[in-house]
Amino acid sequence: MTSGLDTAASFQVPVARMTLANGLRVVVSAEHSAPVVCVAVYYGVGMRLEPRGRTGFAHLFEHLMFQGSPQMAKMELVGLVQANGGLLNGSTRTDFTNYFEVMPSHTLELALWMEADRMRGPVITQAELDNQRDVVKNEIRVNVLNRPYGSFPWIDMQERAYTNWHNAHNGYGDMVDLDAASMADVRAFFDAYYSPANAALVVVGDAEPAEVFEMAQRYFEGIPAAPTPPQAQIEEPPQEEEKRFTRVDPLAPTPAIAIAYHTPPAGTPEYYALGLLHEALAEGDDALLHAELVSKRGYASEVDGGINFLGHMHNARTPLLWCVTLVHDAEVTADAILEAFDAVIEGVRERGLDSGALARSRTKARASLFNTVAGYIPGFGLADLLASFELIEGDASRVNDLDARFAAVTPELVAQVAHDYLKRENRVILELHAGAAVAAESEAAS
Amino acid sequence: MTVEATLPPRPILGTPRPTVLAPRRREVLASGMSTALVQSGSVPIVALRLVVDVGSAHLQPGQAWLDRLLHDFLREGSATHDRAAFADALAAMGGSLDVDGDEHTTVLRTQVLAEHAAEAASMLIGLARTPRIPAEETARLVADQQRWAEIVAQEPAWRAHATFRASLYRGHPYGTVLPQAETLAAFTAADARAFWERHTGAGRATLMAAGKFDAGAVTEAAARASDGWATPEVASVQPAHVSGSRVVRFVARPGSEQTTLRVGAPVPPPGHGDYIALEVANSLLGGSFNSRITQNIREQKGYTYSPSSQISTRPRDAYWVEAADVTTAVTAPALDEILGEIDRLRADAPPEAEVLGITNYVAGISAIRGATLNGLLDHLEFLALHGLDDTYTAMYEARVRSVTPADVWRVTRDYLRPERLTIVAVGDAEAVRGDLGRFGVVVDG
Repeated sequence: MTSGLDTAASFQVPVARMTLANGLRVVVSAEHSAPVVCVAVYYGVGMRLEPRGRTGFAHLFEHLMFQGSPQMAKMELVGLVQANGGLLNGSTRTDFTNYFEVMPSHTLELALWMEADRMRGPVITQAELDNQRDVVKNEIRVNVLNRPYGSFPWIDMQERAYTNWHNAHNGYGDMVDLDAASMADVRAFFDAYYSPANAALVVVGDAEPAEVFEMAQRYFEGIPAAPTPPQAQIEEPPQEEEKRFTRVDPLAPTPAIAIAYHTPPAGTPEYYALGLLHEALAEGDDALLHAELVSKRGYASEVDGGINFLGHMHNARTPLLWCVTLVHDAEVTADAILEAFDAVIEGVRERGLDSGALARSRTKARASLFNTVAGYIPGFGLADLLASFELIEGDASRVNDLDARFAAVTPELVAQVAHDYLKRENRVILELHAGAAVAAESEAAS
Repeated sequence: MTVEATLPPRPILGTPRPTVLAPRRREVLASGMSTALVQSGSVPIVALRLVVDVGSAHLQPGQAWLDRLLHDFLREGSATHDRAAFADALAAMGGSLDVDGDEHTTVLRTQVLAEHAAEAASMLIGLARTPRIPAEETARLVADQQRWAEIVAQEPAWRAHATFRASLYRGHPYGTVLPQAETLAAFTAADARAFWERHTGAGRATLMAAGKFDAGAVTEAAARASDGWATPEVASVQPAHVSGSRVVRFVARPGSEQTTLRVGAPVPPPGHGDYIALEVANSLLGGSFNSRITQNIREQKGYTYSPSSQISTRPRDAYWVEAADVTTAVTAPALDEILGEIDRLRADAPPEAEVLGITNYVAGISAIRGATLNGLLDHLEFLALHGLDDTYTAMYEARVRSVTPADVWRVTRDYLRPERLTIVAVGDAEAVRGDLGRFGVVVDG
């Protein structure tokens, strides 16, 4: 172990678990520093599992889960959370859809009651489906269609890097598919994926496991068990050759490039080695790619990188991509950027990381876990980690192995993973061409 | 959908546990630097901010974005640590440096493993005192700002914000959001250095920290690092003469899928007797998911995804603004509904139950924010900016809960007057401009 690990407190959180008779997993992490509690329900379905011809449906369905349930009319859930001094949200990711409230801790039981009602299924009208279809279309317009770089890189890269439709398709959805979504689809999707055994209920904060377990039994155990959905077929065949694409973003004033590599399988030592490589190459101002491409060459003002476009390396299943992006000036070609990029990557592939960079990577990885727990929404960062581990590895308490998993990565394994995974055959390059700049030029010329 | 199992009745709730203010230690050090250190949280992390009292409002005319260029220069290292050494040292503590700011502040921030709190604090102060601001990096950093300027010019939210600000604060630095290409290109390292040095010193800096850390060690480190850092005399920023008069400002964005709207008016700032009632009115009208405007234009009509209102504040200055990106074809109907909700709240006092729910929400959210490190530091910055102290925080919840329907009604009538509303629309001229005339005199840009 390196000095960075020896001195800092290790990442350990309290975890208590139980499984209800209907298969619902319940996870509690008590932390009493403030009278606040986060209640999160994660369902084991995300964008990857939506039906063909219904792209965007997992996300549309998430919206519908706010539209009413057996005991709550439309907006009643939102009103109850707010009037009790709390906040709520939900999100749809590749493999999970989550719903959460952060509430004063004396309202814990109400939050569980509300989520238990929601787990009994949306009770909605055609008008409410139509309304949320319009809302979702506006979400896509504001986040993707009406701004520069809106689909870059997450939608653009996934469409090009993956060959399995489940991984490749646009999870925000095509407008045509959204238009086709019907009440029958809503029922079928709920029945297939929103069963107790395909979900995890996580409570983090000012609550004791025993009281949460007792309340969970009271409100959730009456929900009948249902068959768990079949295992998702999301495997990707290995990529044999480098792939390179271009697309024009009509609103972008200046070009960009994304370079993505397929990751090792989640949970393996190789995966954590890639996590450390990410910290060393692309995270923070000390990162090797930042030093070369930003500070030395001035090709971009930032190098952005990560594993998992819709989260981090711990809250999705693989296949995933480690992707780095830069927004750059038109005067610099993509090939010039790639040449400088490759010089850094090839150096790491040949020699691994030097001891200083590797030690910093370990420290950054640990700090990143603590920062996830200490994020802007109290309890949610940890709830997200616990739910992800419960659903991916079958045991939320494995978050307490993360330190050890990173610590077990040897310098030799880092070098090996760099060599085996950061090779050209394993990567996808996407050049984004600046449509707004082209338009401005042709306007000036005409 | 086949589930029929009965759910037990909705539970009756117990009594809230009182929110206890996180213990804090405030000092003014011998150097003149202030510290505000809060013990909070359960993980060994500390969030640190060095808040320096200089921002875009201190710029001369024609200097827009010199502050942003300076932020980049501050990432180039200090007398003791060059750029790479600074980045490596912070990374070895688990952190990285962020520099940002607003009209009145420049903030150097990092978040590190708590055992390194004192050392990281020293580094931030050392950086503020002796930034390198290397002239040889000027071309690269100016190019970065030029690239950003091109990008934000394509972002409808930035266009709308810039136009709204220009309309409210003509002739004042608050009114200039975007840079001029020519002046940006001409900025030098000397400009950035002069701007920084003229305004900074221990007496104009506050070290803020939140987390689980050794406050004594941080205080000692701050005293040592700031010792002898002289404080210059700085003329205060001229107060803004804010314009609250009815106008529709239109920005053409050909082919725009949506129209980006702003509707707003000046309101009294924090510390004013009406401010907390205005916060409640804001949350009721547009500032929360359950608010009237959001329920209307999102949950009933589906015109938009993320409508929201807020109160934006500066010292002795504030405005209320509703923001929404609406489908192009429903631009005028969306504006009708936004203005209609303002009118409805002006016409009738809101029901008691609605106000009770919203005051619970405002008070509750404040407690939730106070349970996070950066929420705490945001609040400390808010207090400092507006000349408020910890009694404001201690009294806040009770003051929110004392706001009545009559208060909400009165502040809406007093401040959100139709003749004082500035409306901004960024969108496709052919599709929407013709419909805007009935909302007021339409001015382009």
